[in-house]
Amino acid sequence: MYNALPDEILLQVEKPARYVGREVNMVKKNPSDVDIRFAFCFPDVYEVGMSHLGLQILYFFLNRREDTYCERVFAPWVDMEAKMREANIPLFALESQQPIKNFDFMGFTLQYEMSYTNVLNMLDLAGIPMFRKDRTEEDPLIICGGSCAYNGEPLADFVDIFYLGEGEVLYDDMLELYKQFKKEGKTKQEYLEALLKFDGLYMPQFYDVEYNEDGTIKSFEPNHPDAKRLIKKVVVTDMDSVFFPEKQLVPLIEVVHDRVTLELFRGCIRGCRFCQAGFIYRPVREKKACTVLENARKLMETSGHEEISLTSLSTSDFTEFEELACGLLDEFKDQQVSLSLPSLRIDNFSLDLMKKVQEVRKSSLTFAAEAGTQRLRNVINKNISEDDILNGCKLAFDGGWEKVKLYFMLGLPTETEEDLKGIAHLSEKIVEKYFEIPKDQRPRPVTVNASASCFVPKPFTPFQWDAQDTYEDFGRKALIVKDEIKRRQVRFTYHNTMMSSMEGVLARGDRRQSALLYRVWELGCRFDGWSDLFDFKKWQQAFEDTGLSIEFYANRERSYDEILPWDHISVGVNKSFLINEREKALAAETTPNCRQKCSGCGAASFGGGVCHEVQI
Amino acid sequence: MKYRFKLYKGDEIKFIGHLDLLVAFQRVLKRAGMPIAYSQGFNPHQLVAFASPLSLGLTSTAEYGDFTLKEDLDAEFVMEKMNEHMPDGLKITSLVKLADGVKNTMSSLERAEYELYFDNTVTPEDIKANLENFMERKEILTMKKTKKGINETDIRPDIFWAKDISTEDAAAVEIQVSSGSIRNLKGETFAEAFCNHMGKEYNKYAIKCVRTEMLMKKGEDEFVPLNYGVER
Ligand code: SF4
Repeated sequence: MYNALPDEILLQVEKPARYVGREVNMVKKNPSDVDIRFAFCFPDVYEVGMSHLGLQILYFFLNRREDTYCERVFAPWVDMEAKMREANIPLFALESQQPIKNFDFMGFTLQYEMSYTNVLNMLDLAGIPMFRKDRTEEDPLIICGGSCAYNGEPLADFVDIFYLGEGEVLYDDMLELYKQFKKEGKTKQEYLEALLKFDGLYMPQFYDVEYNEDGTIKSFEPNHPDAKRLIKKVVVTDMDSVFFPEKQLVPLIEVVHDRVTLELFRGCIRGCRFCQAGFIYRPVREKKACTVLENARKLMETSGHEEISLTSLSTSDFTEFEELACGLLDEFKDQQVSLSLPSLRIDNFSLDLMKKVQEVRKSSLTFAAEAGTQRLRNVINKNISEDDILNGCKLAFDGGWEKVKLYFMLGLPTETEEDLKGIAHLSEKIVEKYFEIPKDQRPRPVTVNASASCFVPKPFTPFQWDAQDTYEDFGRKALIVKDEIKRRQVRFTYHNTMMSSMEGVLARGDRRQSALLYRVWELGCRFDGWSDLFDFKKWQQAFEDTGLSIEFYANRERSYDEILPWDHISVGVNKSFLINEREKALAAETTPNCRQKCSGCGAASFGGGVCHEVQI
Repeated sequence: MKYRFKLYKGDEIKFIGHLDLLVAFQRVLKRAGMPIAYSQGFNPHQLVAFASPLSLGLTSTAEYGDFTLKEDLDAEFVMEKMNEHMPDGLKITSLVKLADGVKNTMSSLERAEYELYFDNTVTPEDIKANLENFMERKEILTMKKTKKGINETDIRPDIFWAKDISTEDAAAVEIQVSSGSIRNLKGETFAEAFCNHMGKEYNKYAIKCVRTEMLMKKGEDEFVPLNYGVER
C-alpha cells in the first residue's frame, strides 16, 4: 500500500528502511500537480548518499519550485538488486515510490570515480537504455554534477549533460526553459541545443574527438555552431544570499553522518597541488558567521539532531572562525549538542574548543601531513611543518589526548625512498613526544595511526600531466614504510592499491572509456568503491576486452602540449598557472595562499570571493 | 517530571528496528522543543526508555515507555506537541504523568497481546479445526533463540489464551503471551509453532503480526495495560 516493493521482499533484505522513504522532512507533493519530475540519483548506498550535504541542499532547492518534484534514488544494495531483478521491479524514487523511467530528469551526483558502474547499473535497473544513442523522447535526460563531472568523459556515451559548477546557479533557468519547451511540444534534442547558450553545461554529443596513432587526442572540436570551445563552470558569488535549506532530511535509520551539516565557505585558499577540490572550487567564498549561525539554529530546530558538523575544506581558515565557534557553543550549550570539527589546525584555541565540545577520551587528533619530509611537502605545497605537527601534538598530549591520526600519500611526484621512510620517522617522533611527558602524567598508552592513500593525479591540478605509480609500485612503497616503523605504538595502513590505480585511469579518462565501463558493468561490477566488492580481475578483463590500457591512462606522463580530454572545460584557473605551479613543484618551491598573496590563478574572473576581498 | 506514553507504530514505519525507533523518538522530543532531561555522567543521554523491543516488520497499537522532562508540563500539551513532530506512522495515543514510585515499563511488563494475520495458505477453516486442540496440548516444543543459542523450549506455559478472530476470507488469531525480561514469547514464535501444528508451512515473510497490548500484574492475578492506574 505504501511501498513499491512488497513486504515479503523488504523483509528479506538488509535494512529495508533504505527503500521506503518517509523520512522526517521528506517533501510530499502530488506527482500529477507538477510539470517536472526530477530524480536525484546518488550512485551509492542510502547511508552514504543521505550523509551528503550537496544532496540535502539541492533537494530542497529544487523542491522549493512548485512546478518540480525532486525525489531521491540511491543504488540498491546488492541483495536488493537481486530481488528487484528477480521480481522485475524497476528502480523507483523514494518519495512517490513510483518508477523513474518516465521522469523528466535523472540527475546523478558524481563524487568519486568508483561509483561510475553504479550509474550504469541504476540506468539499467530503471529500464532506461544506458547509451544515449538508444534513448528516445520517452526517456529522462541524464545529467551529472559533482566533482567528477569536471572530467566526465568516461561517461560521455551515457550522459546528456554534465553540469559544471554549483547547482544553485543554473537549475532554475534550465527548468524554466524545459517547461516552456515541453509545453510547446518541442523535442528533447531541441532543448539540449537550446542549452548550448549556457555556461556551465557540457554536452558530449556536440563535440567530436579524433585521435592520433599513439592514442592521444588529435582534435576535440564542436560539431554544432552554438557549442562553445571553452565551457566555464558556474559559481555562486554571494554566499549569504544564496539559498540554504531550513530543513534537512532526517533518516530513520543510522547513516554515515547523523548530524546537521553547516557550510562555512566554498573553495579553499591553500592551493595544495595534489588536491583537485582546491582548484575546481576556486575562489574561496565565505558566508558570514551570523549567516551560518542562523542556518544552524533553523536546522537544529527542524532536525532534532544532537551533533553539528562544520564542513568545509580547511575549517580553520574561516575568517570568523572564533566568533562562529563561540556563537555555536553559546547557542547550544544547554542542549547536549556536540560539535564535530574536521580539518582544524591544531593550536591552543582549537584544543580548548575541542575540549569543550568533544569527549577527549574518545576523540583523536588528525593531521593531514600528506608527505613524510619537508621537501616533499613543499613539492605539494602542503603548508604544514614538522614543528607544527610536533608542537600541536605536544599541546594535545598536555591536554589529555593520546590518539593521533596522520594522513599521508604514497607515490607523490618526485618522491624518494627518504620521503617514504620519513612517514615512519615522523610517526615515531610523535610517539617520542608523548614520552617526554612525565610517566605519572601518562594515564593511557599513546597510539599513532598513520594511514596512506595512493596518489591519484587529477584533472585541473598542477599534477594533471604526471604519471601515476603502478599498483605494484604502491605496494612496494607501502612495504618500505612498514619496514621502517620500529615502534609498536605506530599503526600503519594503506588504501587498496588496485582500486587507486583504477581511480587513476578513470580520473583522467577519455570517452573511449565508456566502452570499458560498459564492459566492466557487464562483467558484474557494482559498488567498486567498496573494497569487499571491488573485483580487480574483472577490470583487467574489461581492459583486455576493450583494447584499452591501464598504463596509457594512469602511468603515462603527458606533455604540456598534449590535448587533454578536459581541456574544453574551464574551472577558472588558467592552464599557464597550473604549468607554473608544476614547475615550482618540481623545484620544491611553495606558493602563498590566497589570503597571503594572490597568485593570479585566473579565478578572480568570477567576480566574487577572496580575490576581491579588501586586504587589511 | 516523568511521563508514560502509549505509542502507535504503523505500516509506514515498521521497517525500522528498535534502536532506530528510540533515536527517532528522541529526535521528536527535540524537535517539539521539550525540556529534555539527560542522564548524568560522561556521555549524557536523553532519559527515554521503551518497555520492550518490537521486531523489525511488526506494527503495534500499543508500544509503551517512559521519558523524563525537566519541567512539569501538561500531558495533553506535550502529547499534542510531540504528535506534530512525529514521523509518518508514529503517534502517541495516550500520555500520562507518572505517579511516584511506579516501576518502569521494562520491569513491569509481564504479558503482551498480538494479532496474527496469516497468508492465504492458511484458511479460516484451518484455524477453526486446529486452534482448540493446539491449546489443549500439554507441551509445545519449539526451537527458540535465547542468549545461550538456539534451544528447544516448551512454550505452552507462555500462552495464556488464543482466540480465533478470523473473518470470512482471512485467517487470524489473537493471543496473550508472556512478555518481558523473565519469560518472553514473540508473536512470531507462536505463529511458527501453530503453523507446524497445522502442518502448514510457516511463511515468515508473509504473516502479519501486530502487537496490540502490553500488560502488567495488578494484585494477585489481574493483568492490566501498562498505563493503567499509574497516573499521578
Ligand atoms: S585569483 Fe588569486 S585570490 Fe583568487 S583564487 Fe586565484 S590565487 Fe586565489
